[in-house]
Amino acid sequence: MAECVKISFTVNGEQETRDAAVGQTLLSFIRDELHLTGTKSGCEIGECGACTVLLNGKPVNSCLVLAVELDGKDLVTIEAIAKDGKLDKIQQSFIDHAAFQCGYCTPGMIISTKALLERKENPTDDDINEALSGNLCRCGAYQEIRAAVKDAAKK
Amino acid sequence: MLAYEYIKCSNLQEALELLESNELVYPLAGGTDLFVGMRGGKFAPKKLLDIKNLNDLKVLAEDEQGITLGAAVTLNDIAEFAPVKKYIPILASGCRSVGSYMIRNRATLAGNICNASPAADTSAPLYCLNAVVNLVGPGGDRTIPVNEFFTGPGKNALKKGELVRSVTIPKPYPSGNGVYFKASRTGSVDLATVGVAVQSWGDQVKIAIGAVAPTPVRAISVEKEINENGEKDWAKAAALVKNDISPITDLRGSREYRYHIVEVLVRRGLEQTMGV
Repeated sequence: MAECVKISFTVNGEQETRDAAVGQTLLSFIRDELHLTGTKSGCEIGECGACTVLLNGKPVNSCLVLAVELDGKDLVTIEAIAKDGKLDKIQQSFIDHAAFQCGYCTPGMIISTKALLERKENPTDDDINEALSGNLCRCGAYQEIRAAVKDAAKK
Repeated sequence: MLAYEYIKCSNLQEALELLESNELVYPLAGGTDLFVGMRGGKFAPKKLLDIKNLNDLKVLAEDEQGITLGAAVTLNDIAEFAPVKKYIPILASGCRSVGSYMIRNRATLAGNICNASPAADTSAPLYCLNAVVNLVGPGGDRTIPVNEFFTGPGKNALKKGELVRSVTIPKPYPSGNGVYFKASRTGSVDLATVGVAVQSWGDQVKIAIGAVAPTPVRAISVEKEINENGEKDWAKAAALVKNDISPITDLRGSREYRYHIVEVLVRRGLEQTMGV
């Protein structure tokens, strides 16, 4: 059994203290310990972006972060994007534009978009391309995704 | 799950002592190369030493010496740092060519050069800017030019127990434009097939190229033709780049393709920085 470390952090606004195994990725911790399975596991080498979460407000690949590194930090996952049972404008735009087919990349896409719109209210195509450069969509819904991001920015 | 110890250091001295202790201790900054390497079996550390929170390594500042980029500063923070954008945009461009936006929220410039890939996107801009690498170790601090820091594929000049403290871009800054072109199979999240940096310094030029030799290299033949012999035909000058590189064939491109695309990108870089 791997050594455990006690970590304190906030997840989706709630303060938590948990034991994290050294060597466990943040991705695995989120899915298997916090049971927040909206964050998806894809390539596990930082290439696909399905595991994107906000760490201290910034989008990162949770497969390339250790669970123990979460200590003292603020974590936001896809589960916290809708508020009070109401979809966020980004989620609604993705639905309106049919910006997914299988949906596996969508949580990561939405997290990256959330961070982009926090930085830039009216992103250009270049801004969107840069912000979503690490989110792979194998169904190829990129045009719809870009339209959804632009539409969400206007709302 | 891999078995190792995780240590978060609170001061640099403690970190250096641990690094020197005769075990497989790996410094962890962004982890974007380290974790991928560990999963692939390339690295097998016994201890991971988290250096992200060391204040000594978090410096991001400009002073009369130049711009100092601490080893724990992320690529996105460097690319957004006002003096970098203003005086050395070629480095911002190199930083923004690494991985993806999410990768760059974790990855550091120091990590990019320590990984010592000949394709490291920040390397060619750093070569053009006369960057120096500030090392700290058991014997104290030392400083070496970035081109001496890269010693071979995956190999760097760090001695046992040493860490990169920071990278400095010394004044004077370049007086002209600089561009970094990356040829790669996909628009992002791929290593460079080749990376070409061209930086004008008034009527002089510096050119550096990644992924065409065991380390990044300067295009000395092209530079000499322009800087010393006064060549103004950029296509003619760029054709000399074949003397400066020794590319190989790999999954990202053939040797022949690399010879071809490097010449094209050097010419284009000259056109954009030295005038048509």
